[in-house]
Amino acid sequence: SQPLAGRQAAELQSKVVPSKQILHSDNMEMEPETMETKSVTEYFSKLHMGSLVYSCTGKRKG
Amino acid sequence: RMEASCLELALEGERLCKAGDCRAGVSFFEAAVQVGTEDLKTLSAIYSQLGNAYFYLHEYAKALEYHHHDLTLARTIGDLLGEAKASGNLGNTLKVLGNFEEAIVCCQRHLDISRELSDKVGEARALYNLGNVYHSKGKNVASAGTHDPGELPDDVKDALQKAAEYYEENLTIVTELGDRAAQGRAFGNLGNTHYLLGNFRSAVLAHEQRLLIAKEFGDRSAERRAYSNLGNAYIFLGEFETASEYYKRTLQLARQLKDRAVEAQACYSLGNTYTLLQDYEKAIDYHLKHLAIAQELRDKIGEGRACWSLGNAYTALGNHDQAMHFAEKHLEISREVGDRNGELTARLNLSDLQMVLGLSYSTNTSMMSESQVAESSLNGARPRAGRRHSMENMELMKLTPEKVPNWN
Repeated sequence: SQPLAGRQAAELQSKVVPSKQILHSDNMEMEPETMETKSVTEYFSKLHMGSLVYSCTGKRKG
Repeated sequence: RMEASCLELALEGERLCKAGDCRAGVSFFEAAVQVGTEDLKTLSAIYSQLGNAYFYLHEYAKALEYHHHDLTLARTIGDLLGEAKASGNLGNTLKVLGNFEEAIVCCQRHLDISRELSDKVGEARALYNLGNVYHSKGKNVASAGTHDPGELPDDVKDALQKAAEYYEENLTIVTELGDRAAQGRAFGNLGNTHYLLGNFRSAVLAHEQRLLIAKEFGDRSAERRAYSNLGNAYIFLGEFETASEYYKRTLQLARQLKDRAVEAQACYSLGNTYTLLQDYEKAIDYHLKHLAIAQELRDKIGEGRACWSLGNAYTALGNHDQAMHFAEKHLEISREVGDRNGELTARLNLSDLQMVLGLSYSTNTSMMSESQVAESSLNGARPRAGRRHSMENMELMKLTPEKVPNWN
């Protein structure tokens, strides 16, 4: 019946009250991790072996 | 000489990784390991970089393997700084793999050695890592339940509290060091930790700092992240207008950065925010935009969410035909992706709509018996679908206001 349908529609409408839950931590935006780095280049520069490192153009002198 | 060729390969790997081509870099590092070297310090650096390259490639099992090799080697040659770095990297990798207890041990080792060596930079970085591990640990346990941010079991609260303390300690040092980039990272994650703890005002303050630093650096991705996080915090402060402003900026930047997935997320957030503001036309507009991108990206989960949201918004407007259409689509997609909770929610919505539309009562009664099953399952412990999957939080909308605290 009409009044019943109307009441049901109103009830249904009142159910569509949103919960803030929709926006929960799922879409939280985190900052990136930082990884520690080691480098072959730095290590050899420190040992003053730049010549060995940078003079390689393929073949090495025996 | 073998030495040089191992070195050459490693140097090329290093160059490639620096240039951002980790995949190619990995090949050269792997080749360098194959050739081998007598110099253990060189080998340690190769292992470390292999571990990091695999980490950035999201191949965490491999990352773990190489960082572990690096740690063993650093200890063997008595390289304390090398051990600290390897421990930190191993800790970060274990965190991503969800092994929080071991991650804490490794990150703590990174911290202890850095302090022993009076290495302030290393100490700060270790504190940030520890904060991240505790944050992940807290979030991980929290996500198993369903509750608003701020309503937490004790173990979750403890972990998040610890995370906040580590971020604060990190901030003290990096502020002394004048390292703005590090401050930005710490503020962002501290803000997210406060958000989960339910300290929304503190979250806003931290994210505002993060935003400031992002602008200083012209880092638009970080700026976008801050807007999005600010929007989330303002939702829980009940300031929906302000939240919508921040989400709009998120959307603007997402479009500038040409990131469709992030654009979709921003539209979804805006749709939900306008629903909270009871401006259903705008909500529908944004949910339709979200739906279009979800379909474009073949994101079935997102598509299901969009249909569910659209069904609700049309129901609120009293447009039951459209509501019906989207509820049916929601049911179809939920079945397709095997989302049991979504399926139950969709059935409930459909039976409600059918009742309003005065459809055949024979369908109704069968539907209602389904609803009884659904209703009882909502009150028990629900199995959790994977992250971003389930409609678990949305089912709350099916309950009556009296049953739900924090209803608004």
